[in-house]
Amino acid sequence: MTNNTVKFEKVTFGKRLKSMLKVDFRRMFLSKHFYIIIACALVIPILMTVMMCMMDGSVSVDQQTGQEIIMQGPENAWQNIGTLPVGPLPGDDVFMMCNINMAFIGVAVFVCLFICDDFRSGYAKNLFTVRAKRSEYVVSKTLAGFVCGVLMLIAYFVGSIIGGAISSLSFDLHGLNAGNIIMCMLAKMFLMLVFVSIFTLISVASKQKTWLAICGSLGGGMLLFMMVSLVTPLASTIVNVLLCAVGGAIFAFGLGAISCAVLKKSSMV
Amino acid sequence: MNAVEIKNLSKNFGPKQAVCGLDMTVPMGAIYGFIGENGSGKSTTEKMICGLIPTSGGSIKLYGKEYTDEDVRAKMGVLIEAPGCFAGLTVFDNMMLQAENLGIANAEQEVIKVLKMVRMEGSAGNKYKNCSLGMKQRVGIAMALLGAPTLLVLDEPLNGLDADGMRIMREVFTDIIKDGKRSIIISSHLLGELQKVATHYGIIRHGKMIAQMTADELDASCRTYVAIQSAEMNKTKILLGCKYSRVEEDEAGYLRVYDMTTPEEIVSYLYQNGICVTEIKTDKIGLEEYYIDLMNGGKR
Repeated sequence: MTNNTVKFEKVTFGKRLKSMLKVDFRRMFLSKHFYIIIACALVIPILMTVMMCMMDGSVSVDQQTGQEIIMQGPENAWQNIGTLPVGPLPGDDVFMMCNINMAFIGVAVFVCLFICDDFRSGYAKNLFTVRAKRSEYVVSKTLAGFVCGVLMLIAYFVGSIIGGAISSLSFDLHGLNAGNIIMCMLAKMFLMLVFVSIFTLISVASKQKTWLAICGSLGGGMLLFMMVSLVTPLASTIVNVLLCAVGGAIFAFGLGAISCAVLKKSSMV
Repeated sequence: MNAVEIKNLSKNFGPKQAVCGLDMTVPMGAIYGFIGENGSGKSTTEKMICGLIPTSGGSIKLYGKEYTDEDVRAKMGVLIEAPGCFAGLTVFDNMMLQAENLGIANAEQEVIKVLKMVRMEGSAGNKYKNCSLGMKQRVGIAMALLGAPTLLVLDEPLNGLDADGMRIMREVFTDIIKDGKRSIIISSHLLGELQKVATHYGIIRHGKMIAQMTADELDASCRTYVAIQSAEMNKTKILLGCKYSRVEEDEAGYLRVYDMTTPEEIVSYLYQNGICVTEIKTDKIGLEEYYIDLMNGGKR
């Protein structure tokens, strides 16, 4: 005769989060999307800097006005990261639109593919059957997206240095110091949490509809895009870092709670 | 204590009621065959048990605890609709992800052990997208088996499996419930296969449980019939039809008499009418016929 009771091991939040993080990071490092996005973040600044330097001084004619336009390449390698405090430099107009801050938009693609794939593949069924609470899922996805975003920023930074070195651009900081660059990068990293939280919420709401998640995230990201250069200038200080860290934490908790509620109230299949 | 106890469960999708007032009891150590037509609410019920879709009403208890209990849910294995695997990853990587998800300590050994159980150890390095339907199904079952789950919920687990695959799965399922504590819910349209392993049955129709029984009770409910073959089947059919209320021809070419009678009585009757019986036997209707009869209003 069998004993009519079954004992279940206590599964704490910590244990659940640990296992979820293991799943997500294993998946992230097995995913080709991750490597493609990091490679893009590394290659884009190199290509952009080198190409713009090659085109420096070339003349083109405006078809409508007949005016000659002389292309101006960048002068300083840091233009890829932000605007230097010496007034506008040649090439700033291009780099304002297409600099390291593009990583904030690029990470949207990763987060959307990463989360929507769970639902498209049906893996969400395996995940949520053993997870009554959705909190660790949201925390883990936000952290994975954050790490990817940070790695993109680092890759873009490295790419900018390599591009600058290849093109023999100046590395003069014009009154700034290495501390400002570090603070600027740290501020951008913490600000990444704000963006990733938004993309996570949009993705968990979109579920299998990857196209909807990507469109929504790119749209949402574009709205906040201009904020990035304002709160994380090249001349950043500890105040910028703290501001971004606090903002990141508030967004991560707030939007994370909403993401959990969305998951709880909706179907997982 | 029962493994699953469902009371008055309901689920609405807008105005459509997929499950209405469903009661279901799965004892510990049971292989519960969950049967119903397409769209009867089987998968919806299973999804609610697994917490994948919210319920609209009623209660679900797993091992005496609420179905939302994290500790109980951590010991569940599931295969619903299709195995949840990433197409671009290998079978082994997919299995490892699930092992990490379950927090299994010796993940690699456990994955290899389970892959061996379903005879998939040789395909561990194959990309999931390159696997055949049957192989994918085996992977799905293997994933559900990871971490020795206390409750397994399997939706059409035998689909796409070859004869050997079905035999292996029968052995695996029977082995799982040996300790009398672990339970399996299997929904399948392959009733002949299900009958070989199920210890309990639940039949659902239009979102309501219309019958629940043990395998023994089913056996007792299934009436016996007399199957006959003769040299002149058409004449035999007419003659039997005159005397007995229900005479049908089966797929194997036998005439079945479902009335309360004996083979001797039938042979004697046919002999008197000049028909020579070449073969006669008594048998019981199977789950499939019982189910069809139940759906048709319980004729047998």
